[in-house]
Amino acid sequence: MNRIVSYIKTFALWELLKGLSVTQRQFFKKGVTLEYPDEKTPQSNRFRGLHALRRYPNGEERCIACKLCEAVCPALAITIESDVSDDGTRRTARYDIDLFKCIYCGFCEESCPVDAIVETRIHEYHMEKPGENIMTKDKLLAIGDKYDAMISADKATDAKYR
Amino acid sequence: MSDDIVNIEVDGEPVKARRGQMVIEVTDTISAYVPRFCYHEKLSIAANCRMCLVDIEGAPKPIPACAQPVNEGMKIFTKSPRAIAAQKATMEFLLINHPLDCPICDQGGECELQDLAMGYGRDISRYNDGKRVVKDKDIGPLVSTDMTRCIHCTRCVRFGEEIQGNPQLGTVGRGEDVKISTYVEQNIDHELSANIIDLCPVGALNNKPYRYSARAWEMTQHATVSPHDCAGSNLYAHVLRGTIKRIVPRDNESINEAWISDRDRFSYEAIYSSDRLITPRIKDGDVWRDIEWGNALAHAADVLSFADSKKIGLISSSASTVEESYLLSKLAQHLDTANIDHRVNRRDTSDQDSDPVFESLGTDIAAIERQDAILVVGSNIRSEAPILAHRIRKAAVNGAKVSFANAKEYEYLFDVADYVSGLGLVELLSGIAVAANVKSDAVSVLCAGVKANDAQFRIANSLKDADDAMVLLGCVAGNHAAYSTVRALAAAIADETGATIGFVTNGPNASGASLAGVLPHREVGGAKREKPGMTVAAMLSNELEALVLVNVEPDADIHATTDVVAKIAEHKFVVALTPFVSEALLESADLLLPIGTFAETSGTYINAAGTWQSFSGVASPVGESRPCWKVLRVLGNLMDAEKFNYVTSEEVLDEFKSVAGNADAGGYSMGGQLAKPNGEDSLADEIDTPLYSIDGLVRRANALQKTLSAKNVVSGE
Repeated sequence: MNRIVSYIKTFALWELLKGLSVTQRQFFKKGVTLEYPDEKTPQSNRFRGLHALRRYPNGEERCIACKLCEAVCPALAITIESDVSDDGTRRTARYDIDLFKCIYCGFCEESCPVDAIVETRIHEYHMEKPGENIMTKDKLLAIGDKYDAMISADKATDAKYR
Repeated sequence: MSDDIVNIEVDGEPVKARRGQMVIEVTDTISAYVPRFCYHEKLSIAANCRMCLVDIEGAPKPIPACAQPVNEGMKIFTKSPRAIAAQKATMEFLLINHPLDCPICDQGGECELQDLAMGYGRDISRYNDGKRVVKDKDIGPLVSTDMTRCIHCTRCVRFGEEIQGNPQLGTVGRGEDVKISTYVEQNIDHELSANIIDLCPVGALNNKPYRYSARAWEMTQHATVSPHDCAGSNLYAHVLRGTIKRIVPRDNESINEAWISDRDRFSYEAIYSSDRLITPRIKDGDVWRDIEWGNALAHAADVLSFADSKKIGLISSSASTVEESYLLSKLAQHLDTANIDHRVNRRDTSDQDSDPVFESLGTDIAAIERQDAILVVGSNIRSEAPILAHRIRKAAVNGAKVSFANAKEYEYLFDVADYVSGLGLVELLSGIAVAANVKSDAVSVLCAGVKANDAQFRIANSLKDADDAMVLLGCVAGNHAAYSTVRALAAAIADETGATIGFVTNGPNASGASLAGVLPHREVGGAKREKPGMTVAAMLSNELEALVLVNVEPDADIHATTDVVAKIAEHKFVVALTPFVSEALLESADLLLPIGTFAETSGTYINAAGTWQSFSGVASPVGESRPCWKVLRVLGNLMDAEKFNYVTSEEVLDEFKSVAGNADAGGYSMGGQLAKPNGEDSLADEIDTPLYSIDGLVRRANALQKTLSAKNVVSGE
């Protein structure tokens, strides 16, 4: 009996029609694929992307070279050298993050007592030459300056949960 | 004896303790930890931090464990609810005024307050009023101050009073207004002063050169030994990525207790000074140029191999390790010369045949403080060996009669029994010898016609009356132009009064260098050479074909003769193995080979008490510098010296131990009759060792050179 039903189905192109029905259903549904980079998925304000070093509104660096981020970093991606700055305060002489080592866990941001090191929403970046994976202090500060508005807004949104 | 032992109970455990012991001493021995800030086992009891409050049965209130002597049947509870509540309450009060600046505080991560706040502090402060702010003080180039962090444990104050002997810090005001202060603005400039950095339980007093340069948790700790004095203080070097960041004391009750001198602590700065020689350099006509190690060594080996063995000289210093000294000594053997010496400051070597195998203290360092009478002869002991000076001070504080026979007056911060000065050492000592009624033939000429004064009689009697007495010959005596005579007199006095004679030597390894045969009259192990070679002074005065300088700077380190730089420049070929380059070296040497400092090489020092202390290299070598023993090894290889194939410095040490490991210091054996010095006993002619110019390292340590002690020497000269 089964063999007869199967024989008929084969000749009636039943499997083909069944498959096309899925296509037909999906055809009228709203699509989920995005036209990247013209379109982008929504991002959390807690997104952990490229790092930045922040400044106080008066332009003073926040980082005080306490080295807690260096200590907490599970991938040993951060290297800091500290020294006495010209005005007698404790500052970093060197602040390097190796983006190849970094696992974007956000511990550095969590450990920072002055909210100096942050992970921004920026995740679209690339390196062309060896060595560009090292984010130096100047680069990090530049990112912090450029995206200050975004970082501040994200921090403000998150503040009530901390 | 049984009366002295009491039975007490700590947290329910029965414990035996000595009567009169404080509760905290007992709990420390049985690992029942009681938190504390002001208590320190080397200092007196203050009981002002109140952190060590414990519960004692029958007591109406919690009692500070550091100030409560144990009694028979006492029941102590260190972790009862009442004790913990009292400790937590104390912590809450301490934290009221302590700033929350741990992230920028150098003490962060190794802070006693931080640690205890984890255990006894509240998460959130209940105090909402203004915090106290105290102005920082400038107390010199060694110690930084952040006085707002101070919790007034007064350890630094007690250190000044009890260990230094000159209280430079004190408390001003009372209650909330109490402040640690120098009263009038002044630098703290005692030679041990920087120990307050380690004593301070918080970050109020900190290491100034180290300020903000590293964190406690990221550095690795390596044991090493002080390269500056004959005590051989034990140190820890804290190293970050191959660079020494700071030096702290390593406790050793038999040598340096818990202290180190400022020199030991800050001299590491010199390792990274701009004066470091970083590549081998050769003099090409009048121009210095860098060359490859291989060429440099081959050149040196060539010259040494072809030089007349009678016209080769090797000058080392007591800053060289045992391994370096031994290899140099073997090299001299291979070159068939006895012109080898490390006594760069000894002007009088006429009686060198009477020398002991190596000059030692004759006792343990710790035994100094148990003496009943000490006579220090020709020594600026506070600058020669601050740790020994501290032991002598302890002896004096314990009631010993400490006297000095010094041409110059040096300041001592304890009650000195008698201080004879103003004349040459021979004159001063012959007076004491007469007072002691010395009968030795050797010194009879010296004592003839000398009359002793009251002070000299008192000194002689103090040595005679004491159960344990000691005569210490210092470096000023060792460098004296009539050293033989001074030594004979001191030995005769010691002999007559039953005192031990001890020698305070230059540098960290004078004993080791002597034992290794870096002497013109002694072989490895101390046996007499059949044909003595030239001493330092003789080598410099005769024109040699090749002269090897190891770890010495001609201008600053060699005092055995005068016009040293000019004399060295006369020699045909001078190769200097040196960590530092200086004007004098550039002027006098022909080839410079960069070697590592004490921190960059493994080695062994034998201190004045005869203790062998090995250490490993702790820091990465600067530039192309190499450990000196390796340089000597390769030189030996290039000259085809036998048995020179060492792989590690331990192999060198093992071989040396098998030759000289059991050698005894030996005693000074008095030679024949000595004549009165003829003009060599003058006061102005003495060579002193200023605290911060004693060796190449301290001379280049920035912070030390900024101290008043260093500046006063410069302006005084």
